[in-house]
Amino acid sequence: MLLATLLISCGPGGRGGATVKPGPDLPPTDKPIELPAIPSRIETTLVAPLTGDTSAARSPVLDVMVAENQRWMATLTKLPDPAYYLAYQLVEQREVSLDAEGGALVGDRDETDRILDVEIRVGSPELDNTRALSDDANGLNEPMPRRAVAPFGNDSLAVSNHLWLETDRRYREAVQALTYVRQDQRTLGKRAGVPDFAAGKPEIYTGTPAVLTFDKAAWVARVKRCSERAFKGVATRGSCGVQFTQNTAWLVNSEGTQLQLSWTTAQLSVSVGVKADDGQGLGRLEQAFAQTPAALPDEAAVDKLIAAVTTDLDALHDAPLAEPYVGPAILEGRAAGVFFHEVFGHRIEGHRQKDETSGKTFSSYIGKEIMPTWLSVYDDATIATLNGVQLNGFYRFDDEGVRARRVDLVKDGTLVDFLMGRNPIAASPTSNGHGRKQPGLDPVARQGNLVVAAARSVERADLEKMLLAEVKRQGRPYGMVFTDISGGFTNTSAFAPQAFKVNPVMAYRLYPDGKRELVRGIDMSGTPLVALQSIRAASREVETFNGVCGAESGWVPVSASAPSLLLEKLEVEKSFIPADRPPVLGAPSIRQGGVR
Amino acid sequence: MKRSVTRHAHLIAAAAALCALAAPAAAKKVAPLGPPSRAVTDDIIDAIAEEMDRALQRLELPDAPKPYHIAYKITEVEVNDAVASLGHATNKKARHFVNLECRVRVKHDGIDNGNFVVAGGDGIDGTAGISLALEATPRIARRAAWLVTDQAYKEALVQLRNKLDARTAGGVGGSTVQSWTAEAALVGDEPVLVAPLESLDDVVARAEKVSSLFRGVPAIRDSRVAVTSYLERRWYLTTEGTSVTDTRRATGVMIVAHGQAADGQELAQYFTRYGRTAADLPTDVELEREARTLAATIGALATAPLVSRYVGPVLFEGEGAVGVVRYTLAPHLGGTPLPAGLRPQEAKLFGGAFNDKIGLKVMAPFLTIADDPTSGVAAGKAVIGGYKIDDEGVAAQRIEVVKAGLLSNMLTSRTPASATAKSNGHARRTAKGGAFHGTATNLIVTAKGGLAPAALKKKLLAEVKASGLAYGLIIRRFDDSAVTASSEMSRRELLQMLSNADLELPPPALLAYKVTPDGKEQLVRGAQLATFSVKAWKDVIAAGKTPTVFNFLASTDGYLDHKLGGVDEGFVPSSGIESSVSTPDLLFKELDVVPSTVGYRARPALPPPSGP
Repeated sequence: MLLATLLISCGPGGRGGATVKPGPDLPPTDKPIELPAIPSRIETTLVAPLTGDTSAARSPVLDVMVAENQRWMATLTKLPDPAYYLAYQLVEQREVSLDAEGGALVGDRDETDRILDVEIRVGSPELDNTRALSDDANGLNEPMPRRAVAPFGNDSLAVSNHLWLETDRRYREAVQALTYVRQDQRTLGKRAGVPDFAAGKPEIYTGTPAVLTFDKAAWVARVKRCSERAFKGVATRGSCGVQFTQNTAWLVNSEGTQLQLSWTTAQLSVSVGVKADDGQGLGRLEQAFAQTPAALPDEAAVDKLIAAVTTDLDALHDAPLAEPYVGPAILEGRAAGVFFHEVFGHRIEGHRQKDETSGKTFSSYIGKEIMPTWLSVYDDATIATLNGVQLNGFYRFDDEGVRARRVDLVKDGTLVDFLMGRNPIAASPTSNGHGRKQPGLDPVARQGNLVVAAARSVERADLEKMLLAEVKRQGRPYGMVFTDISGGFTNTSAFAPQAFKVNPVMAYRLYPDGKRELVRGIDMSGTPLVALQSIRAASREVETFNGVCGAESGWVPVSASAPSLLLEKLEVEKSFIPADRPPVLGAPSIRQGGVR
Repeated sequence: MKRSVTRHAHLIAAAAALCALAAPAAAKKVAPLGPPSRAVTDDIIDAIAEEMDRALQRLELPDAPKPYHIAYKITEVEVNDAVASLGHATNKKARHFVNLECRVRVKHDGIDNGNFVVAGGDGIDGTAGISLALEATPRIARRAAWLVTDQAYKEALVQLRNKLDARTAGGVGGSTVQSWTAEAALVGDEPVLVAPLESLDDVVARAEKVSSLFRGVPAIRDSRVAVTSYLERRWYLTTEGTSVTDTRRATGVMIVAHGQAADGQELAQYFTRYGRTAADLPTDVELEREARTLAATIGALATAPLVSRYVGPVLFEGEGAVGVVRYTLAPHLGGTPLPAGLRPQEAKLFGGAFNDKIGLKVMAPFLTIADDPTSGVAAGKAVIGGYKIDDEGVAAQRIEVVKAGLLSNMLTSRTPASATAKSNGHARRTAKGGAFHGTATNLIVTAKGGLAPAALKKKLLAEVKASGLAYGLIIRRFDDSAVTASSEMSRRELLQMLSNADLELPPPALLAYKVTPDGKEQLVRGAQLATFSVKAWKDVIAAGKTPTVFNFLASTDGYLDHKLGGVDEGFVPSSGIESSVSTPDLLFKELDVVPSTVGYRARPALPPPSGP
């Protein structure tokens, strides 16, 4: 199953914390290009977190969770190692997936789980069991996946017994961890002054239980038909699949929060692949996301997705390998969104500013200009749609029970804030509703719906003219245009260069005569501050990339919306191509039967 | 039938074995048979066979050896399983999938790529797998066979290169024994029909009903009941001309309960039963009785003393006898050479203590041991370790391994240990390096002159007296971490376990009793065999008269793997090699037992909730 369309490899999520001195001003950029004062087009529909509250739909499970939480806290607060915070999250998820390959059904799954997470904090908000140790030789600062479960249904005895069991395990583990933390703090010469936990206000919300409805036989037929159509051209793999989920999450904490959230999701994927003659695995993936199966693209729209991926794959198969390059480049809308997600978004996650092992790229740049003054960036999980596209990163409350809200990160080119969960930093002592995780892991600050907004923009066609002008000015033989990026990684650890690498799927050389040539086998690389300073222009149209992002708190749905961007300089390097070769024998004639 | 393999194949005669598998004497009623596969039909086998023939004739890279043997295993699995706790399901799944696995051997059978572990790349083993469609689609099967054969071939070349290099460098030593044995081709295309699965609703209902017995039992900290019903259809296809099919079918139930002793030590008990259908399992009433017994045992263990260090006679009774056979004897009955390229400590985990001992005394003269995968019944009870064809396409055979204490044979696969060795149809367990190893699956221990239970206990006490001891020890159950592992441990505790564990020891005993000269028994906890050499089998001084027959799924992961990873609480035991042991009680003259020091933790600050 293909889950990762955005991928990040992050350093440990530490909680050390230190006072940060302001960073130096960044060097002035070249003379900016004059751009018309017309903003890029962003039209959103917002959903306030508390809309649709239906207290009549409250599940008895919430009452069981509240009672057990209160029963434990009445005792734990009085113990020699007192707990000061206890949260329960119960996530029931039904996941249906149907996968077809070349016209045949290869996967048919329908499973339901109810995962229990217990978060317990022992000590005090200033210093608790979650504080990272200064020496992480045994990986003790790494999150430890624990998959506790609870019985289905509302049976009080059964559910509360599992809450009791996991609370006992977690409390014991927390007390043990705090012992190590205290010992570590005693031996440290310089102790961090930033607390480990930010208090929150109680939230109460009851969402109506969502019900997943779909016609299975019809969807089996659709994915089979889709995969048969996708299996064309040079492809040795042509797959289509759908994944539907029905989710209900209950969250209760000792601050008084009681949440019941329920939603469905639907995802359709079209994927084709082949191995190039030099061994490089080539693939194209298009995905569509919706709230319900019925809202997924119709047949005609799916056919367009199929046409796009198969045409691109055939072209990639014949495309030459590119050479390393430094020069001007355009990142088209969705590619620009992924670029911002990787290069900027992950570095603006609050807990990384505290982690002693992190490079803290932006920690000292609050109040400083880090990108052109006509660019602003924010993250807003309350956006349901942007320019008519449903956003994957929508949610009402984060996984720490904090209400979602818009967070301005960069205003008019100046860094103003970070994405925060309940792990505070000196610059942001409270959560702004971005503590996120997948069930079974500990939450950290994560992106939701990242939006790049340009106050000045040009038409897309003009952006290309500006690229060619830059090509001429820099004396380069061609410029680069990137239309699709599959993902990438960014190193935030201080032990290695603060560099990013993103993997373009569709990369073109644009020559001065207007000729476009598709190339393959390259990665974009660089360092974030330089890359952001290199942005010269943006397009009027804004596109959205919907996907799933993986980091230390697991996989979470996200979106990144951005206009197409012109960069004065972008570095491109050869990507790793494994020492492999295509199949030794030619493909059997699988479409006609018989052996070729 | 287009299959070229049929041209040079001859039929096997395994009728007697098939009859035994199809109609166990102990089956309470004969269930109607289900339909054959709709995913893997003759057309699918033909499509894969065509690709196999094409690969054998034409698959070759310049200056590299060609494949000389290609084998495919198609596996179709259907599973309905559920886990429940305190009367309610925590997990339920209906699964159906089809896999195609290809194994390629390159160069020639004198020296090929097999049974070698590439340093830093133990996944490079000349084997590759891919999913097949759930509905018969020959063109997809042909494409899958093409891709998977290509991948396996390239891996086999890498594996061979490393193996030859290692031999040249002397790291793994040279061997004059050939790498692979030729076997006669087998053809048996008729589907083996088995009873349909119990429905998911039935499986869920049973798990919920039995699990509710633990509601409100104060001694039980955690509990779960899992029920699984599955079938596994297999097809083997090789370039030698073999084309056979087989089907395995099992239904199982697992009851697990955890508690905590007064001093904080973790306690666990389990009850598992497997049969070929639900008809072979205990009734709900019997299961509920077993659940109550587990709960009572946990309660008794909570106040039982920790075993003291002990050196003396140990009587293994019932499941305890099964355990001592399973953990200390069975791993050494395989005659497949240990994988080359592994560190000796790691290689030991694959057995090998009886290597080069054919004809020598290895155990007490009154003991005889056989493995019989052709049988569906042992001592009148249904056993699940039977099969028609092993994982290398060789017909199953009954093999007498030990006769009157003398090692007479080994359980072999097609990777031979000597120039004259041949497979006797016991290739079941894979090890690093990709080779199948000779494995016991229906192991039968018989004892001449077996004693009745009272006489055996008397013999134990006589030995206690002769040794000048105050008491003897009876072990009635060993731990099975694939069943009982829980997620109780913190990361720090796991780290300690990883660095301190002795991987060669059998698991701790879960049920052990001190027995004093007056015959009184006292439950003790924490009994761990301190060391166990296979030489101890020479010092079995008595055995019982009546065998215990026990079915289980032998996990391919080690004890520590499960302890470290924890058993997912949604886990259902439907993976592992279907196995059984039939053995009488066994009295060993002298073994070392030490108290287990693991699993201590603070008691909960709160009692469990009492419910509404």
